[in-house]
Amino acid sequence: MTGAALASLALLERDLRAVARSRSQLYSSVLFPLMLMALLGAGVSSGLAPNSPRIIDGDYTSFLAPGMIAMTALFSSTFSSAGFYRDRESGLLRAMLASPHSARTILFGKALSAILIGSLQAFAVLALAVVIPGIDLAWQFGWLGGVATVVATVLALSFMLSGLSLLLALRVKTMQGFHLIFNLVLFPLFFLSGAFFPLDQVPGWLEVIGYINPLTYAVDLLHYACYAPSPDGLIGPLIDGLVLGGFALIVFTLGLSRAPRAV
Amino acid sequence: MPSSVQSPIESPSPLQEPAQLRAAGFEWPGGRGVSDVDLQVRRGEIVTLLGPNGAGKSTILKMLSGEITPQHGSVAIFGEPHGAVARRRIGLVLQESSTDDLMTVQETLELHGRLFGLPRGELARRCEDILEALDIADRAADRCETLSGGLRRRLDIARALLHHPDLLLLDEPTLALDPESSAAIWQSLHRRAGDGVAVVVCSNDTAEAESNADRVVIVSDGRVLADDTPQHLTSALKNDALELDWPSPSDDELSLLSSWPGVGAIARHEGALHLTVDSSAEIVPLLFQQFGSRISGIRIRESSLRDAWFQIVGLPLDDLPTQLAAERKEGERVRQP
Repeated sequence: MTGAALASLALLERDLRAVARSRSQLYSSVLFPLMLMALLGAGVSSGLAPNSPRIIDGDYTSFLAPGMIAMTALFSSTFSSAGFYRDRESGLLRAMLASPHSARTILFGKALSAILIGSLQAFAVLALAVVIPGIDLAWQFGWLGGVATVVATVLALSFMLSGLSLLLALRVKTMQGFHLIFNLVLFPLFFLSGAFFPLDQVPGWLEVIGYINPLTYAVDLLHYACYAPSPDGLIGPLIDGLVLGGFALIVFTLGLSRAPRAV
Repeated sequence: MPSSVQSPIESPSPLQEPAQLRAAGFEWPGGRGVSDVDLQVRRGEIVTLLGPNGAGKSTILKMLSGEITPQHGSVAIFGEPHGAVARRRIGLVLQESSTDDLMTVQETLELHGRLFGLPRGELARRCEDILEALDIADRAADRCETLSGGLRRRLDIARALLHHPDLLLLDEPTLALDPESSAAIWQSLHRRAGDGVAVVVCSNDTAEAESNADRVVIVSDGRVLADDTPQHLTSALKNDALELDWPSPSDDELSLLSSWPGVGAIARHEGALHLTVDSSAEIVPLLFQQFGSRISGIRIRESSLRDAWFQIVGLPLDDLPTQLAAERKEGERVRQP
C-alpha cells in the first residue's frame, strides 16, 4: 500500500473510532429516518389515503423507505462535516496538514470516512426496513441486484455529498454558516427529489426543478432497486446511474481540487 | 528518546544547510503580513521570534512550516525547497493545543506516526520513549479531554518530536502555562537542541527568550528589526530600566525627557512609560523634581531584553508623538542579518 493510502487508512480508522465513541450521533442518524417512516408513513397512509399509482396500495410507509435511505446518507455527510469543523477548530486539521502528505490526501482520508460512515448508516436503515414488518419492498432486480444497486447508489450519493461538504467547508468558516447553507440548499432539493412525493404529479415548475436536482436521480435509482415493482419508473436506471455518477465524480473531484494546505 | 533510532526516511540533502527564509514576504487578505524577512536557523540552535501580537511571527512560522508559500523571496529547509521531503523534517507545535478530545494520548501519537509513515513496531517504541521523556507515560490511555493545559502542551510537543524532526517550530508553546510546566517544556527543547535539532519558538515573553534562546529575532509590523544573541541585544542598552506610572505624558514632557543626558529609549506600554537610563540614581531625583506630581509610581530594575524590545520596536509607536517615534525608529532600529 502506498504512503497516501496508509495515511488515508489511518484517518479513516481515527474517524470511525470517533463516531463509535459519539453514540448519540450514531443512534440518532439511524433512528430518525425510522421514526419518520413510522410516524409520517402511518399518518399519511391512514390520514390522507394517497392514491398515486407510484405509492403502491397507498402504503406511504414503504414508499418512504428509499427516500429515508437517501436522507440518512445526506444527514451523515452533514454530521461528518461537523467533524471537519471540529478538527479545524481544535487545530488537529492543521497538525495533519503539516504531515508529508498533500492536503488532498488528508482531505481524501477524511472524506473517505464520511462516505463510509454515511453509507454504513444508510445500509443500517435499509436492513431495518427489510426486517420491520409492514414495510414492503419489491426487489425487481432480485435481492442481489437490488442490494448491489442500493450500495452503488448510496456510495455515489455519499461521494457527491462529501464533495459538496468539502467545497462548502473549505469556504465557509463557521459550522453555523455551513449548516445554514447546507439546510437552505439541500433540504429543498431533498424535498424535491421524489423522496416524499412522486414528482410526476407535481406542478410543472416543480417538476422541472426536480429534474435538474441530482438527488432526484439517487432517490429514483433507490426506488428502482428496492421499491418499484416494475421497470416503469420515473426516469430510468441507466440515466439515473449516469447522472448520479457524473455528479458524484465532478463534485468530489472539485471538492478535493480546492484543498489548501493552510486552513 | 534514544538518538540511535534512525528515521525511516533517508536524508536526501546535507543538513549542514540552515533552514532559511530569504527576503520572504507574505500578505494576508486585508493587508497584514510580513515582508523582506531574512532568517537562518542552524541545527542545534534555539531561535526565538519575539514580538507583540500581530507582529507577523506566526506568518514567519507558517512560511517555514510550509503552511503558506512566500509570495516574495524563498524558503528552504536544510537546502530543500518546501515539499513532502522538507515537511518530514519539520515538527510543528501550533499556538493552540491541537488535540482531539475524543482521542487518547496514545491514539493521538499513533495517528501522527502513521501519517509520517512510521512502521508499527517502531511507532510503538517511539511512543513509549517520547511519553517517558515528556513525563506523560502514565496518561497514555487517557482521553485528551482529561488533560490539563500543561499536559496537552507536552502532548503537542511529543507529537511534533515523534518523527524525529530536524527543525522544530513552536508557536508560543508556554503561553498561559504555570512556571513548572513552562520549565519542563524548555528543558525538553534544550535537550532537543542538544541533539542537533533546530528550534524556532514564537514568543512575546522577553524573559523567557532572554533565558533560553541562542538568538532572538525581533519582529514588528511584519518586519525583522533585529536578529542577534540576547547578550548582544542587551549590551547596547543603558544600565537601568525605569517603569513610570505616568498615564498621559504630553508631547512637550516627552521631548524634554528625551533631551536629558543619560536617558535612552522611551516607550509607552499599558499606561506606563518605560525608559532606559545610564544611572537611575541620577535620573530618578530629576524626574520627581520636574514631573513629581504627574508620576504616581516608579519601578527600577536592571535593563533586560524587554527594554531592548521596547527600544527597538518602540511599542506602541502610535502612543508616542509622531516625530519622536519616527526619530527613534530611524535611530534605534538595528538590523543584523
